[in-house]
Amino acid sequence: MFFHIYLERNMQLHPRHFGPHLRDKLISKLIQDVEGTCSGRHGFVVAVTAVETIGQGLIRDGTGYVTFPMKYQCVVFRPFKGEILESVVTMVNKMGFFAEAGPVQIFVSNHLIPDDMVFQSGDVPSYETSDGSVRIQKDSEVRLKIVGTRVDATEIFCIGTIKDDFLGLIGNPGGGA
Amino acid sequence: MSSVEPFRKLVKLVARAFYDEEIPPKGANRSKSDKSDNRGIAVVILDALTRRQWVKEEDLARDLRLHPKQLRRTLRVLEEELLILREHRRETVKGAKIYNAAVAAVSEQPTEREGEEKPKVHTHSYCCLDYAQVYDIVRYRIHRSKKKIKDELEDRNTVQEYICPAASCGRRYSALDALRLINVYDGNFHCELCDAELVAESDKLAAAELGDGDGEDNARRRRREKLKELYDKLEKQLRPLMEQLARVKDLTPPDFGSLEAWEKKAIATGRLAGTDPSTSDLSKPSHGQGPTGTPMPFLGETKVEVALAGGDSKKEEEKEEAAQLKVLPPWMIRQGMNLTASQRGEITKQEVKGEDGVSPDGPDVKDVKPADEDKEEVQRKIQEEYLKAYYAALLQRQQQTEQQAAQPVTAETPVAATDDEEAGERQVGMKAKRDASDEVEGEEEDEEVEWEDATAAEPVDTTVASQDTSFTNGDVPDTAPDAGGEFDDDDVDWEEG
Ligand SMILES: [Zn+2]
Repeated sequence: MFFHIYLERNMQLHPRHFGPHLRDKLISKLIQDVEGTCSGRHGFVVAVTAVETIGQGLIRDGTGYVTFPMKYQCVVFRPFKGEILESVVTMVNKMGFFAEAGPVQIFVSNHLIPDDMVFQSGDVPSYETSDGSVRIQKDSEVRLKIVGTRVDATEIFCIGTIKDDFLGLIGNPGGGA
Repeated sequence: MSSVEPFRKLVKLVARAFYDEEIPPKGANRSKSDKSDNRGIAVVILDALTRRQWVKEEDLARDLRLHPKQLRRTLRVLEEELLILREHRRETVKGAKIYNAAVAAVSEQPTEREGEEKPKVHTHSYCCLDYAQVYDIVRYRIHRSKKKIKDELEDRNTVQEYICPAASCGRRYSALDALRLINVYDGNFHCELCDAELVAESDKLAAAELGDGDGEDNARRRRREKLKELYDKLEKQLRPLMEQLARVKDLTPPDFGSLEAWEKKAIATGRLAGTDPSTSDLSKPSHGQGPTGTPMPFLGETKVEVALAGGDSKKEEEKEEAAQLKVLPPWMIRQGMNLTASQRGEITKQEVKGEDGVSPDGPDVKDVKPADEDKEEVQRKIQEEYLKAYYAALLQRQQQTEQQAAQPVTAETPVAATDDEEAGERQVGMKAKRDASDEVEGEEEDEEVEWEDATAAEPVDTTVASQDTSFTNGDVPDTAPDAGGEFDDDDVDWEEG
C-alpha cells in the first residue's frame, strides 16, 4: 500500500557546499539519500515530493560539518498481509517462485500454487497446468496475495499465494495476455 | 492454600498425555544399545519429581530402582523438553553436607540418611521440576498442535517450513527466509550451515494416510472430515489437561530457584521450624516464596530465612538466641562449628539452666547462684532492676497527675478544649478518608472545598460549645463531596459553553 507521509531527517553537509546553492544541495542530497531506501517502520521510500522545512544548521564539533534537521514529504510503499499485488516473476524453482512488485520481493511457495499447476524443470523452469494453457515462468506477470511479511529494520520480505480466486497469471512474458 | 498441589497434578497429567510412550531421544546420537524398553519411565520419574524438590540424581535412581544411566537418559530428554532443571556440580564434602542438610530440612522423615552418607568428591547431577516452565511449555505445545490442524483444516495460507535433511543438523527454516536460502548455482534452497539441500516439511497430516482417492472433490471432503475428527480427538483427550491449565492459571507456580538458592532456603526454613517440631510442614513456606524473595500475598512474613544463610549471620543469630535463653536444638550446635569457645560454653551453660527447670529470668536465679553468672548476665540483671525502678517511678508520677486532675473540679475549660481537639482530630481523619475516595473528582476542587471548610469551622470552634462544634464539623464534610462535584460540573459546563 502507498502512503504519502511526512518524515524527518538530519542531513549533514560539508562546508564546501555553503553558498547560494546550499538549499538546493541539501535537497538533492536528501533525495539521493532516502529514495529507494527501506525502513521496517515506513516501508520503501519511493519518492520525495516536497521539502517542508529546513531547520537551523548546527556545526558539529571538530568536523566542520553542519547538521540540518529536514522535514519532507514522501511517498512510501509498505506491503501488508492480505494485500493483493501485481508482480513480475523473477525466478522459478521446484520450491516455488520469486516475484517482484516494485521494490518488494515476494516468494510463493509451491504449496501456495494451485494443485493443478506442476513444476516443469528444463531450460525455462515453470509451473504449468496439464493442458499447458497457464504457464508461469520468469518474467510472467502474476497477481498474488500477501500472506506473510518479514519486516526487519532495513528490509521487507513477503510471501504470497496465488491459490485463491482471481489470483495467478495475468500476463505472459513479452506483454501478451 | 499452597499452590503446589494443582501444579503437581498438572505435571502428572502432562506426563501421561505426552510422555507415556517410549521417548525417542532427540538428535541422531542414539546408540544401538539403547534398545531397552523405556515406556512409561518418564511418567514414573516425573511423578517422583513432583514429590521432591531438588534431588540428587543418584538418590532418585536408587529410590526408583532404576539404573542411573537409564534415569539420566530420560532426564536428558526431559531437560530438552524444558520440563526440568538440571545442575551439575563438582561435589565437595562441604557441598554434599549442605545438600544433605537441605534434604533433611525438607523431607518429612528427616533422620533417615544422615549417618550413612559418605560424601565423595565427584561430579554430581541434581534435577528439579520447573513448574513455571512446564506450564508455559504445555500451553505452547497445545497451541501449536491445535494451530497445525486448524490451519490445514481451514486451508489457510500457512508459511511453508523447510528442514535440513542432514541428521546432524536438522535446522528449520521458514519461507520467509527464502531469499537467504537460494543457492546461486542450482537455484534451490540450501542449509545455511551445512549446505545440504532443504526439503519442504510435509505438514499434511491427513493426506499421507488417505492416498489418492476417487475424484479430487471427494478426496478433499474426506480429508476435511479426517482433520475434523483429528481435531475433535485432540480436544477431547486433552480436556483434563486444559482444565488443569485453566485452574493453575492465576496461581504462582512453586519455584525452588537454583540448587544453591534452594539449599540455603531449605536449611534456613528447616532451622526455623526445627525449634518447634509441631510446625514441620516445611514445604509450604518454601513454596510460598520465589528465589527472589518476593513473598506471596498470603505468606508474607517468611522473610527471615535469607539472613540466616551465611556464617556471620549464623553467629549473630546464635548470640541473639543466647540472649533470649532459648533452648537450642543439638543439631544446631553441630552446624555452627565456627562458634567461639566462649559462645559455645555460654550456650551450653544456659541450656543446662533451662533444662534444670529454673526459670532463667526473674529474681530466682540471682538469689540461687549469683556467683555463676557471667558479665552479660549481670549486666542484664542491672538493666532489669533499672527498668523496674523506672516503671515504678513512672507509675507513681502517673498517679500524681491523676490526683491533680481530679482535684480542681472548676477547671472545665481545659477539659472542653481537649475534647474539642479530639473531635477536630477525628474530623480531620474522616475528611482525609473522604478526600482519598473523592480523588477521582479532581483534586483542585476538593482542596478549595477544604479551604472553605476550614475557614468556616474555625470561628465556630472558638465560640460555640464543644458538642456543637463537633456537630457542625460532622455536618459540613458530608456536603463537601457534593459541592466538589458541583464545582466540577460547573467547570466543565463553563468550558463547553
Ligand atoms: Zn543443515
